[in-house]
Amino acid sequence: MSVATKSNWKSLQARETRLAWSLILPTAIIVFGLVIFPAVFSVWVSFHDIGLHNLNDVFNASFVGFDNYRKVFEDFAFKFQGTQSWGAAVTSVVYSFAATILTIVVGLIASLLLNRPFRGRGLARAIFLFPYVAPIVSVAFVWRWILDPRPSGVINDVLMRLGVIELPKAYLATRGLALLLVIIFEAWRYFPFAMLMILARLQAVDNTLYEAAEVDGASPWQKFWNITIPELRYVIGAIFLLRLMWTFNKFDDIFLLTGGGFGTKVLPVLTYEFSFRLFDFGRGAATAMILLAILVVFMAFYIGVVMRNVEEE
Amino acid sequence: MNTERKSFLAHMADWITWPRFIFSLTMIFFLTSILFPFYWMVSSSFKTRAEIAGREPVYVPNALRLEAYRELFDPEHPSYQEFGTNIINTFKVSIPTAIIAVILAVLGSYAIARLKFKGKNILLNSILLVYLFPGVLLIIPLFAMLAQIGDQIGFEVQDNLGVLIFTYLAQTLPVALYMLTNYFRTIPDEIEQAALIDGCTRLEVIWRVTLPLAIPALVSVSVYTFMIAWNEFLYALVFLNDHNMFTMPIKINTIFNDPSPRPHVVMAASTIMTVPIVLLFLSMERFLQEGLTAGGVKG
Repeated sequence: MSVATKSNWKSLQARETRLAWSLILPTAIIVFGLVIFPAVFSVWVSFHDIGLHNLNDVFNASFVGFDNYRKVFEDFAFKFQGTQSWGAAVTSVVYSFAATILTIVVGLIASLLLNRPFRGRGLARAIFLFPYVAPIVSVAFVWRWILDPRPSGVINDVLMRLGVIELPKAYLATRGLALLLVIIFEAWRYFPFAMLMILARLQAVDNTLYEAAEVDGASPWQKFWNITIPELRYVIGAIFLLRLMWTFNKFDDIFLLTGGGFGTKVLPVLTYEFSFRLFDFGRGAATAMILLAILVVFMAFYIGVVMRNVEEE
Repeated sequence: MNTERKSFLAHMADWITWPRFIFSLTMIFFLTSILFPFYWMVSSSFKTRAEIAGREPVYVPNALRLEAYRELFDPEHPSYQEFGTNIINTFKVSIPTAIIAVILAVLGSYAIARLKFKGKNILLNSILLVYLFPGVLLIIPLFAMLAQIGDQIGFEVQDNLGVLIFTYLAQTLPVALYMLTNYFRTIPDEIEQAALIDGCTRLEVIWRVTLPLAIPALVSVSVYTFMIAWNEFLYALVFLNDHNMFTMPIKINTIFNDPSPRPHVVMAASTIMTVPIVLLFLSMERFLQEGLTAGGVKG
């Protein structure tokens, strides 16, 4: 009797396992077939000579060793050549760090604004999410139109009326300024993500902490630095990591805003240009591998330094 | 008159304090910098070419002129853009992506949330790893791989909306899976156990018990996957070459890069692409808030 129940139970469990796998199989096949396998395959591509000429016979492409990597490292678009021309690797790092930090600062301010009750808070909160939910193509082109180099561009018109500039400027076609504007655009578009996460955490902060601080006579500024910020450390760390990686991977924003010109060429844009302008897929894949390597360094650094510090305290 | 103004000023002086002043100022700054671009998009779309190309920007168009929309939709217009086809193409990729992603994610996330099997965590974690892969890294091998497979089985990789849907599924499934797994875990197991004891099979339980309880999550996941497919740019840019197959983002990019700049047409097309998404978002906001913080939109 007891043996029968046991084997019965076992077969039930086996059936559950079989059911589980058959339920998850379609998803697993699509994700592995279209993500994990291609990711591994791109390592292979980066060591081979693949272009339009042999695209229908990829697996017989000739092995070229580190040639693709050497070509990337020697490319003027990639390598650092002093302060005038940073190259894609340095630009990518500077751009992602600056954009991530600015996004978090703006998101923090926005979440503090929305954390206190006032009339129309729900509406304000919904409006604050607009930049994040609107399609990237639309918002990128609106900003290009606002920053238009002709005198009919809004920014040109406003700055000329205020007497800040005398002649219209081409903002997105000026080295330095273009990179700065792309960073500001990133903060404009992605601060709502940081805002929502910080807001959720703020609403969970124990109010007695603030009350106790008030009894001790703390100023609002002291309360902010000594209670709010420490309470938010974990969530800010998480946002920082996620946004840093996503910004580092991001192709659309810069491609649409500047096309990667005027000192804004980042690694994803360079990867695209090698692959789909020059149709040198090997070199494109090598660039993508370099991008991935830097990404892994970020993650290792984050896990090693930031997370351990948080745990120790 | 004079006394009234004075009392108003006095009232203001009473109300205003430093924190309130700073609060209002920051709020105004945020609202204008968020709303102005959207106002500019919509208002520019109703301007004529003359208004757009003048010496100074026209801040308030004095009439709603449909010149830009005529270029997009009116076959009689000299540079007719056939934007209707692009709208239909966008629907053709985003609706199937949303439906298929939700169905597959329901099955997969149910298995992860409820059933016990070996390798579950490794599977979930490796699917979530997809979050970290740059799209631009995957598109090269995908392009080479699909070209090869297409050659052998006999389908076109270029200008094939089906291929595009497949690649969108790979991008949306991990998110959908993650969100739904979290939701299924919040539904108490006891309800399902009761149904199982009553003699329902697992699939019946999913269909009759779990899904009706998970409707808010299903709505938010389908809206997200729909939005991702609706907005997607890079894969469509690489996989579509024929103007008749373009989705809206690629078409807008093409109009923008036209040698004769027509910002009003670009803004009209952008308005058409943006308004439904923002309205969809606002009407579903209640369901969507949680998903946003879960990293629902990979951005």
